[in-house]
Amino acid sequence: MGEIIELKGKGVPKVGVYICHCGFNIASKVRVDEVVDFAATLPNVVVARSNKYTCSDPGQEVIRKDIKEMGLDRVVVASCTPLLHEHTFRKTVETGGLNPFLFHMVNIREDVSWVTDDGDRATEKAKALVAAGVRRVLYQKPLEKRRAAIKSDVLIIGGGIGGITAALDIADSGKKVTLVEREPTIGGVMAKFDKTFPTLDCAACILTPKMTAVASHPNIKLLTFSEVKDVSGYIGDFRASIVKKPRRVIESKCTGCGECANVCPVYMPNAFDENLGMRKATYKPFAQAVPNVHTIEKTGTSPCTYTCPAGINAHGYVALASAGKYDEAFNLILESTPLVATLGRACYAPCEEECTRGELEGTVRIRRLKRFIADRYYENHPEPEYGPPDKELDKKVAIVGSGPAGLTAAYFLRKMGYQVTIFEKEPRPGGMLRVGIPEYRLPNDVLDRDIKNVLALGVGIQTYTEVKSLDDLRKKGFDAIFLATGTHGVRKMDIEGENLSGVVNCMEFLTSINYGKKTDLTGKTILVVGGGNAALDSARAALRLGARKVTIQYRRSRAEMPAFPEEIDAAEKEGITISYLTTPVKFEGEGGKLKYVQSVQMQLGEPDDTGRRKPIPIPGSESIANIDMAIIAIGLMPTTSPWAEQLNLNRDGTIQVDPETLQTSLPHVFAGGDVVLGPSIIVNAIGQGRRAAHYIDKYLKGEDLKATTFVFRSADMVSKHDVLTRSIITHAMSLPKKELPVDERITNFKEVEIALTEEEALKDTKRCLNCSVCSDCHLCKTICSAEAIDYGMKEEVIDVEAGVIIVTTGFKPFDPKRISAYGYGRFPNVYTSLEVERLVNSSGPTQGEVILRDGRKPERIGIIHCVGSRDKEYNQYCSKVCCMYSLKLAHLLKERTGADIYNFYIDMRTPGKGYEEFYHKLLEEGVHFVRGRVGEVTDWAVTAKEEGKLIIRVEDTLLGMVRRIPVDMVVLSVALEPQKDADDVRRLLNLSCSSEGFFLERHPKLAPVATFTDGIYIAGACQGPKDIPETVAQASAAAAQALSLVDRGYVELEPNTAYINSELCSGCHVCIAICPYGAITYNSEKKVAESNEVLCKGCGSCVAACPSGAIDQHLFENEQIINELEGVLSYV
Amino acid sequence: MFEPKIVAFFCNWCTYTAADLAGVSRMKYSPNVRIIRVMCSGRIDPELIVKAFEKGADGVIIGGCHPGDCHYQNGNHKTLRRYKLLKGLVEQFDIEWERLRLEWISASEGEKVQRVSNEFTEQIRVLGPIQMKGGRVVHG
Repeated sequence: MGEIIELKGKGVPKVGVYICHCGFNIASKVRVDEVVDFAATLPNVVVARSNKYTCSDPGQEVIRKDIKEMGLDRVVVASCTPLLHEHTFRKTVETGGLNPFLFHMVNIREDVSWVTDDGDRATEKAKALVAAGVRRVLYQKPLEKRRAAIKSDVLIIGGGIGGITAALDIADSGKKVTLVEREPTIGGVMAKFDKTFPTLDCAACILTPKMTAVASHPNIKLLTFSEVKDVSGYIGDFRASIVKKPRRVIESKCTGCGECANVCPVYMPNAFDENLGMRKATYKPFAQAVPNVHTIEKTGTSPCTYTCPAGINAHGYVALASAGKYDEAFNLILESTPLVATLGRACYAPCEEECTRGELEGTVRIRRLKRFIADRYYENHPEPEYGPPDKELDKKVAIVGSGPAGLTAAYFLRKMGYQVTIFEKEPRPGGMLRVGIPEYRLPNDVLDRDIKNVLALGVGIQTYTEVKSLDDLRKKGFDAIFLATGTHGVRKMDIEGENLSGVVNCMEFLTSINYGKKTDLTGKTILVVGGGNAALDSARAALRLGARKVTIQYRRSRAEMPAFPEEIDAAEKEGITISYLTTPVKFEGEGGKLKYVQSVQMQLGEPDDTGRRKPIPIPGSESIANIDMAIIAIGLMPTTSPWAEQLNLNRDGTIQVDPETLQTSLPHVFAGGDVVLGPSIIVNAIGQGRRAAHYIDKYLKGEDLKATTFVFRSADMVSKHDVLTRSIITHAMSLPKKELPVDERITNFKEVEIALTEEEALKDTKRCLNCSVCSDCHLCKTICSAEAIDYGMKEEVIDVEAGVIIVTTGFKPFDPKRISAYGYGRFPNVYTSLEVERLVNSSGPTQGEVILRDGRKPERIGIIHCVGSRDKEYNQYCSKVCCMYSLKLAHLLKERTGADIYNFYIDMRTPGKGYEEFYHKLLEEGVHFVRGRVGEVTDWAVTAKEEGKLIIRVEDTLLGMVRRIPVDMVVLSVALEPQKDADDVRRLLNLSCSSEGFFLERHPKLAPVATFTDGIYIAGACQGPKDIPETVAQASAAAAQALSLVDRGYVELEPNTAYINSELCSGCHVCIAICPYGAITYNSEKKVAESNEVLCKGCGSCVAACPSGAIDQHLFENEQIINELEGVLSYV
Repeated sequence: MFEPKIVAFFCNWCTYTAADLAGVSRMKYSPNVRIIRVMCSGRIDPELIVKAFEKGADGVIIGGCHPGDCHYQNGNHKTLRRYKLLKGLVEQFDIEWERLRLEWISASEGEKVQRVSNEFTEQIRVLGPIQMKGGRVVHG
């Protein structure tokens, strides 16, 4: 049994051992007397006793008496877990006159008697543990407790009724409180309730005064729309980083008047009303919200807006149009481009390809809405209603080319005040828009009106002016030049007969038509060569000039064709033949005039550099056809050769620029649009024009062009998946195409597409899903007289120090979609209890009138209890409040509707003051109660009476039969579950969770609001389902505990810090890197590591890491643990 | 039947609390497992593991908080790194590395304490007593 231990210079320590029966808890398994006898035989043990309850006063007194009378040096108590009574017995030992750390506690209850079946083995294990404790305690040393100051401020996380109560309790005592709530208002779930049970108090009437008290309390700092992101430190000295999300409304300026919400065009399902009603993107959750300010919800950038290469706020103008604000919509587009009506017709609308509606029944017709907006505006405003800018700058800018890039750059630069002149070689401005797009797609007068938007600013324009020398412009005093000359050259085919009369290139052909030179092609046979949009435009224009037959030859297949599918479809509809995999090899003529074309069939080979499969002629497939005219449209290219000596060009003739700044190799010359990109689409050119204007401005101001980047979008694109899962989507047919019938359009150049009517336009705007919520239409900013709107508001990080933290983060209701048999989400008239709370609430979506989703008023209502509770599939626990709130809802529904009400329950659980009485009141009111778990809610009627109703199928366990009860409305009394991110909060605060995910209290009976992390308290439903009175009681309890700590001003810490034996330390630094608290520093004078006891938290990691064995930990010294080990292993 | 001696070093905050929960929930498990409480699994010096085997343990369990949950920020990460080295180290003493087990057990996982204890006892029972070259030094 080992030898008696003698401590150096301290003689032979005398140990007293006390084994506890703990009533029957230990004694029923462990033969206590046997353990006592065994303990008495252990070396150094002078006394071993047992006690029924060692923790009782007499039990403790025995120990104190022995210390005094027998001169004990060490005490071992074998009883329950040290986490319960270590403090108790340390105090006993201390009051007995011994240092409290010369005591060790052995756990023979949780670790032995409660977990062991066999009495013999339990006794054996208890003996081993007692032996270990005795050996360990011999090596324990007297220690002093450390004290740490406690900061007096308290942090409360969660602003429901629990957080509000705790905050007021603490603030009233004069201490400072920071209350953090992630929603825009405090009030939590209670704010949604109409009445509270059992007294039927109006929830708002008892809650809102408390909310305003919080807002006005001088000691409470309220942070709403904020989340705690990081917490460090320990009891007495916590530091929290709180992220205040951008509300986009300045709280200190907002008066809560609500004008912003009135004008906001974006409607969203109102989450506060459980999505039963709508609110605006600019909103206040409910009338009495605290703080009384609005919030603008914005989740990113909508896909349409994000995608637009010109950075046009598509979502914004669709939203404005939806509210009938067409002029505002027009002006919003004008902020990004002057070419509003042009884009409304000729844009290929990348926005529509990204539209989230496209994932459903079809994209919102964004382009056509833009046309509608522009046409309507121009009808009322034939001339722009603005003139030159207020501010004039003296720098001059030359814009070469008046296509979309040039016009856009001119527009923006002139708005900034620069003196802008456009040089255009053609007779009329517009570039490719003018000469390349036939009038049936873009009428000339529409383009003219768009160009007025630019010219009205005082932009000079010189037509018939081709710029050949950049130096000339420089000499004329232009400080910067923007080249935007597009791609007006056409590639040659390099085949025989290409110079015959009758072979023309597409640009010549289209230009002449657009200038009104309408060659009569009546009865002619026309061949168009090429597969791009220019080929299609040429073919369709030729048809309109009277051609008898128009054929397009394209050398690849349709899949490779670069023209837009809509154009191809339209051409085919109009009767144009497209011969794929065919190309001319020779034109033949008579008297210099084209007469025949010889063509060859192709097949597709390996992919070439562009990734498209290379066409290879099939030998012997040649054929000859009779034609009158051939239009070559095999590719457009820039005509930049005059500048080849001054600028760096690419092989295809495009100008080399810095893709970010569009600066060319000459610093004062910028270039953009097709002349840089090659043939592209209008919005790309507009985007380049905007970019060029931005950087030319910087250049002219002498700023560093590389210092910033140019971005249109303020935020990332929202996830379409999120949008589709968040919204309550009503499906609506998408607009069909609306075009002139083919026979009415192919004989003339009338616009093919028919404009939307206002009714159609409005209907389509309503299909917008408002992906990013706020559409950035900026209406609210114009209306807000308090100047409280700040779209650029950024996340703000607020650091808070606190001595104590109280967590009151509440619960989330169970999602009944998980139980598909109850039909929630399938049958519109199945509601959750929280939805009904809103439905019966006088400030709810229906002002308290119970109107079902299908517009009916219910005559029979079924309330199903325990949805998601008391069910092994979902949650085994009872959610505790559902019986009572179901009774409350039954009462309110009966009062409001007079309906017949059925409660389906498993057991009625109504303990609580006045609760059982309330149940009886309901029984007397004539509410029906059916005992049994509902099997199914179905709309499958089997009798005439069931027709059009929801049928609740249930086994009535009192009647012993299955019943079918038809009702109009089903209410699901859903369970209370831990918050979705409870686990994140748990990690943040180093808490523990019970297996169902609620925060774990330190002790279920004796420390229900404390946690295992000192200084952090929990209250309310985050700890487990509970009702309002219980939550309030816990919150006050947590406040009292917090105050008790804060008031004392200090906390005693376990003296289990690490210490370094400097004689053994080799100065290797390993421990310094290991310590997570920076508690170890290197003393370069003594060349050893030194530990700071104040910073050390006592984990002991450094002890394990020290290669020299120079570090040890008080209370957990290696010698003590090794002796405990020996005890555990060597006895019994 | 061979009754192995098993030492379990449990951290105060998660695994020891889980063992308490197992007790409170009256979950029976093998009495062969004997718990030594330390503040953090990061405190477990490799020396303590070697000593345990030297003093007669047939198996050792280290129980700590789940990664990311450490009461001392990252003590359990240090444990994990040491554990990987320790497995090699015990093999050098001719002790099968399977006799050393690391488990992350949170305060709510009383059931896991029960399961791991029972599993591990069975596993050691199958492995039998430690056979060391030249025998094991046993201190009385």
